[in-house]
Amino acid sequence: MKKRIPLILIFVAGLLGVISFVIPHPSYQVYDAWIRNDLLRVLSAFAVVLALGSLLRVHSDKIRRKRRNWQYSWLLLIAFAVSAIIGLFGGVAADGILPTTIGSFSYDIQTLYENIVIPLASSMFALLAFFMASAAYRAFRVRSMEATLLLVAAFIVMIGVLPLGYSISKHLPAFVQWILNVPNVAGQRGIVLGIALGVVATSLKIILGIERAWLGGGE
Amino acid sequence: MSLIILCTLVGLAPPSNVRAYDAPDDGGGVINVEWQLSTDDAQTDAYEIYRSENGSDFVKVGLIGRSRQFYQDQTTEDGILYAYKVATVSDTVRALSEPSPEVISTPSWINVAKVNIYVAMLIFGGLILYYIYHARKGKELFIRKIAGLQAIDDAVGRATEMGKPILYVLGLGYIEDIATIASLNILGEVAKKTAQYDTKLIVPNADPIVYTVAREIVKESYTNAGRPDAYDPESVFFLAREQMAYAAGIDGIMTREKPATNFLVGYFAAESLVIAETGAATGAIQIAGTDALAQLPFFVTACDYTLIGEELYAASAYISKRPLLLGAIKGEDWSKVIIAAALILASIIGLVSQFPILSLFQ
Amino acid sequence: MKIYERLNKIDRRIIYAILFVVVTLPLIFPSVLKVTPMTPVENLFTAVDKTTDDKALILDCSYAPQIKAEVEPMAIAVLRHAFKTRKKILVLSLYVEMIGLATRALNQVVEEFNSVAETYEDSIIYGRDYVFLGWQPPPIVPMLGMGESISNIYVVDYYGNQTDTLLMMQRIRNYNDISILVALSGSRIPISWVSYAQNRYGLQVGVGCTAVSGADFYPYYQTGQFTGLMVGMKGAAEYEELVEANHGVKGRRVASEAMLSLTYAHLIIMLFIVIGNIGFFLHRRKK
Repeated sequence: MKKRIPLILIFVAGLLGVISFVIPHPSYQVYDAWIRNDLLRVLSAFAVVLALGSLLRVHSDKIRRKRRNWQYSWLLLIAFAVSAIIGLFGGVAADGILPTTIGSFSYDIQTLYENIVIPLASSMFALLAFFMASAAYRAFRVRSMEATLLLVAAFIVMIGVLPLGYSISKHLPAFVQWILNVPNVAGQRGIVLGIALGVVATSLKIILGIERAWLGGGE
Repeated sequence: MSLIILCTLVGLAPPSNVRAYDAPDDGGGVINVEWQLSTDDAQTDAYEIYRSENGSDFVKVGLIGRSRQFYQDQTTEDGILYAYKVATVSDTVRALSEPSPEVISTPSWINVAKVNIYVAMLIFGGLILYYIYHARKGKELFIRKIAGLQAIDDAVGRATEMGKPILYVLGLGYIEDIATIASLNILGEVAKKTAQYDTKLIVPNADPIVYTVAREIVKESYTNAGRPDAYDPESVFFLAREQMAYAAGIDGIMTREKPATNFLVGYFAAESLVIAETGAATGAIQIAGTDALAQLPFFVTACDYTLIGEELYAASAYISKRPLLLGAIKGEDWSKVIIAAALILASIIGLVSQFPILSLFQ
Repeated sequence: MKIYERLNKIDRRIIYAILFVVVTLPLIFPSVLKVTPMTPVENLFTAVDKTTDDKALILDCSYAPQIKAEVEPMAIAVLRHAFKTRKKILVLSLYVEMIGLATRALNQVVEEFNSVAETYEDSIIYGRDYVFLGWQPPPIVPMLGMGESISNIYVVDYYGNQTDTLLMMQRIRNYNDISILVALSGSRIPISWVSYAQNRYGLQVGVGCTAVSGADFYPYYQTGQFTGLMVGMKGAAEYEELVEANHGVKGRRVASEAMLSLTYAHLIIMLFIVIGNIGFFLHRRKK
């Protein structure tokens, strides 16, 4: 029964989704709209609660049992509490019941976001440049014909996408555009077609209950 | 009357042949209005659309720019008779057309415009189901070697010999992402092996729902392998939802725990190279798999084995060798053959139709 | 260690250090590098330019903080374009963590225009010239729902105003009143806009994306599903160039300033690849 109910639900939901694509009549679409606009929103809200609960539980547990690096869990819980309180009570435009300025120092949610979240995320993303350099240096060796072709194409595209490329030759950016629009797209289309069919097949397997890994293990 | 005289004096011609019809293949409440452009279109500011209900006065319902011949009225009620007029507008002068024949908007039960999609659904769905049915009858189905999946055993063995953990990263995907489901299948198999060999498994998650499913899968795998005691609930945990926070957390795990084997299987975005390159720097063997095309070059560069697109979806069939799953793969492959044949045929027809000699046959 | 071994195995820290210097110096001493706009960006620019007075455009600011450097200049360029040519614009985000960035871009450009406006007509007025719809989860709800009615999905805007009371929203009801939607994202959101909004309602979609995800989107641009495409920092610089050249909008061109850094970074990576291959060849020869 534990497995049967979700399987029945997934079958019915899958079928309803396919039917809504075929039938535009409002007497059917009104149910589809209710599922999409109302039910999905409620489910999303519950998922958020689930995530927050799980996060708090894991880190509280870590602190209680003094597991390795438990001090960082305190950091997480404090940051969680502070941003939640400021976000909930400080207001969107610093117009909530909680004061969010001390003199000229403001700590409303927008300021926290701009000065903490954005720089942290941007810094991590900036690491990509360094990782790309070391990965390219390590991996782009002329070991075979295909590797040589890849290297030459990479060089052409890397120069062509720069303003420098246009200075070298007026035709270089257009050639790069051709590489990106034709061979690149051709290769991608093959993979995309395969992926699309894979999604159709896997979705069909899930709807029909053949694929059950998502249920949580077991046959 | 004065307006008509004014229009005649000014010379503003109204649009002609106003035609209104029920919008096809919709849920009702929509009427399409078409007309032929006014001969004074170049001097026109816009066209105004007027509507009358059940023979009442005409009321303005819409405005559209110059040189346009189509307007969709989405404010109609089904079952009411409507007639339309279109007016050419230039400054304060309007020239109204003759009214269109009356029309009623009605909802459609079937979207006929999508019939090509229904046919495709039937063909491809049918093929997949046909091969699944055949597989159930015990027919042997061949599936080619996939290097990344072949290497799973060796990779787990390596970690066991070195006494180091295995890191399994499910990526950023949600539970409804097919890549995540495929990854969970592989996780089940990997967990079975780590249970047998008593190797430590670390599974950080980015999504709470995926985390709960992954936890259940690992627990089930340990139970099925006869080692429920060896299962560590802390081995599967929620790390962070945010992309770069997740990457930073995984990098931290890689540098501290120094796993011998990294599985990077699922949906990834830009953090793929941050994770893969850090893993390469720690000397781990890395097996990656994703359907995110943009990340494939990074995985190919930084990892030892990469499962590309549908090789990842085929993983559950490949590893378990279950006939039903193999049958679905077969159906997919034949569908691809049909699409490829159709593309080649269409390309040939397209090429041939460019040749001027064909005009001889017209 | 022999020379070819050194060339073959340069310590990654040396690579990082050199790259850091090469990328940072042009940012400390910035200068604008002129770029030649390419066709995908020109197409997007033209499509936005062609927005008539009876329509609006939607700007979907669904880019995360980590890609802000690449994509925010696109948002700012499109906003400058819209405000300068008095195109009505609706701004939204599909995820809550991106709302802050949308607010930031909007505030910056509105302030730029209003600081030099001399009359009420010249100013950028909320509700008349632009509306910030905010965030409505999950993403599929506004994607599909706005085809019927924007005000039904965003009953209140980001600031809590009833959407249907705003001046602009009297005429902008659903996708039929939208000329183009410009989706700025680092993920597959633009493809979702095509799948849902364009497939069902025929909405024109333009895209601004990171260089990494640009490769994903070329097939869609080729088939015409994306009207135009801005890829990476260079795409942003091209749009900035078009906006300044065609409409005389003066403002800091962040993407154009970064072009020099980008150029040097590419060149240094190519140099390292060449060095690595020289070491590889010498090593192979020795063997």
